[in-house]
Amino acid sequence: MSGRITDHPVLGKLPETRFVTFSFNNQEYEGAEGDSIAAALLANGIRTLRYHEESGSPRGIYCNIGHCFECRVTVDGEPGVRACLTPVKEGMTVESSGKLPSPVRDWRPEND
Amino acid sequence: MTDFEMIICRCEEVTYGELIKTAEEFNCTARELKLRTRAGMGYCGGRTCRPMVDKAARGPEISKDTEITLKYQPPLRPISFGRLGGKEK
Amino acid sequence: MTDVIVIGAGPAGLSAAAVAAEKGLNVLVIDEYMKPGGRLLGQLYEEPDGSWWNGIEESAKLFNRAAEAGVTIKLQTPVNNIETTADGIWSVYTEEETFVTRHLLIATGAAEAPVPVPGWTLPGVMSVGAAQVMTNVHRVKPGNRGVIIGINVLSAAIAMELKLAGVEVASLSLPGKNSMTEESADPRKVLNSLLHVSHMAPSPLVRFGSRFLQNDIMKKLGVSFFPKNGVKMWDIPVQLRKAVIEIYGENEVEGVVMANVTSDGEVIKGTEERITADFVCIAGGLYPLAELAAVAGCPFYLIDELGGYVPLHNEQMETTLKGLYVAGNITGIEGAKVAAAQGTTAGLTIARNSGIHGLVKEIQLAIQSIKQTRDNASIQFHPEVKKGREIIQEKWEEHARALEGTGSEVTSEAEAGG
Repeated sequence: MSGRITDHPVLGKLPETRFVTFSFNNQEYEGAEGDSIAAALLANGIRTLRYHEESGSPRGIYCNIGHCFECRVTVDGEPGVRACLTPVKEGMTVESSGKLPSPVRDWRPEND
Repeated sequence: MTDFEMIICRCEEVTYGELIKTAEEFNCTARELKLRTRAGMGYCGGRTCRPMVDKAARGPEISKDTEITLKYQPPLRPISFGRLGGKEK
Repeated sequence: MTDVIVIGAGPAGLSAAAVAAEKGLNVLVIDEYMKPGGRLLGQLYEEPDGSWWNGIEESAKLFNRAAEAGVTIKLQTPVNNIETTADGIWSVYTEEETFVTRHLLIATGAAEAPVPVPGWTLPGVMSVGAAQVMTNVHRVKPGNRGVIIGINVLSAAIAMELKLAGVEVASLSLPGKNSMTEESADPRKVLNSLLHVSHMAPSPLVRFGSRFLQNDIMKKLGVSFFPKNGVKMWDIPVQLRKAVIEIYGENEVEGVVMANVTSDGEVIKGTEERITADFVCIAGGLYPLAELAAVAGCPFYLIDELGGYVPLHNEQMETTLKGLYVAGNITGIEGAKVAAAQGTTAGLTIARNSGIHGLVKEIQLAIQSIKQTRDNASIQFHPEVKKGREIIQEKWEEHARALEGTGSEVTSEAEAGG
């Protein structure tokens, strides 16, 4: 996992941790126990966590501490879970949500 | 992409252009700007764009100086109906 | 019923909880994050004496002290609402449970205010605080090569932390000027604000800038003569005369478009260049996260020196609502040490208001300690923070006088204990 900072000049070596296997959009990944889902995915090179419901534009973490809700994913069937605040667990199923099928029509006259 | 097309409210994808234009056209306070454009009314509750919506607002500041321009409403975090109905995690 | 509930397990909340528990109260701390420490967790900087301020170690100390004093800490528990009933009981609503108490401390810290840049919704663009947490707390690189938009004390400190972790920072530059970026896009104002915190600001910048500090004309000259390629700080170019006008990428960040700007921050056409990067940090500063105090019904004042709207409170950390207290960045943006000192004060005030005697002197000393900590702080987010503190204190006194005038009961229980 190239994204990990294993050796840090002040914080020292990354402590030995157990790795767990979880899935994201039906693909299996390994994450360090205690990692947030967002950190575990980023360590695997994955930044895009969902697509905007209306425009379908890709989104990833923004604030990383639970304020912005941009990283919301579906975890074990529960939607709207913040990937930045939720630790990965063995066997966890994570799915990103996507563009909804019926977009809202722009009703403003200037956009006709 | 120009500043005009730049998104300000990430949840509702409200652009800088929409906010500036609306504020100008209707001489909007922050609250009116929010209601007209939906900026700050999305999933996060406006936590991210709130300072920017405040900056885009114009017009008379009608609120007292002891109040926040954009009101906060509970629940401050989204709750599913299932959870509200007492479903356990 | 719990004697005390604290919302937020950062330096303010944990300090308050530990102090209150050490005075014999039973205390519950609630936080939505996975680990205790709040924003303190990510902090890592060198003190003027050469020692390191390590947020992870400091958080562990605070947590251990609270745990030893018997504090219960509930993590991963978002609070949706708080409410008071007539008999002075506060209800704290979470998804799973509702908790009740007579003394509720809100220590929810701060949120980041963005500077918007076209393309900032692309994956790979994150707040500068997000990059800090990813790097120092999760020990995962936010990317290999980044650009930081917004030059301030916080972003300069985090740029250094990224560098320390082996992450390349290609540039620290301004956002493009528009009606939302305002001061943060104005080279003169940015230089000025950095020079106010000279002991913390990147030293080459200070060496450069201090020659021009004397008066306004010289300050303008300072920006005019500012090297086009920036001044290097820890090998990172600090570019006061360049602004990022767009972040580009197909599905994720691939780079930024940067342009030269005038000393007023206006983009000079034809100077646009593309800089490759796989991540971008947005640094617009912090504002007090006061949503719970707002739903509770606290009066608020907009005080720029404190970073935004702050709930009315006194030096003992009481709000105008009975049994509701605030401490830490919710009262104004300052460093973790000030937040902890405010937490200590809040913890003591709560103990006194719970009927524990003999604390008057200790509370006075705790209030003094907040001021001393502020005076000794090596990081100051707003140069005029003391003025901000004076304004809120004046507002409190006005409020207290108004209550006396109406004959209403003054909420402050300062005279009750002792």
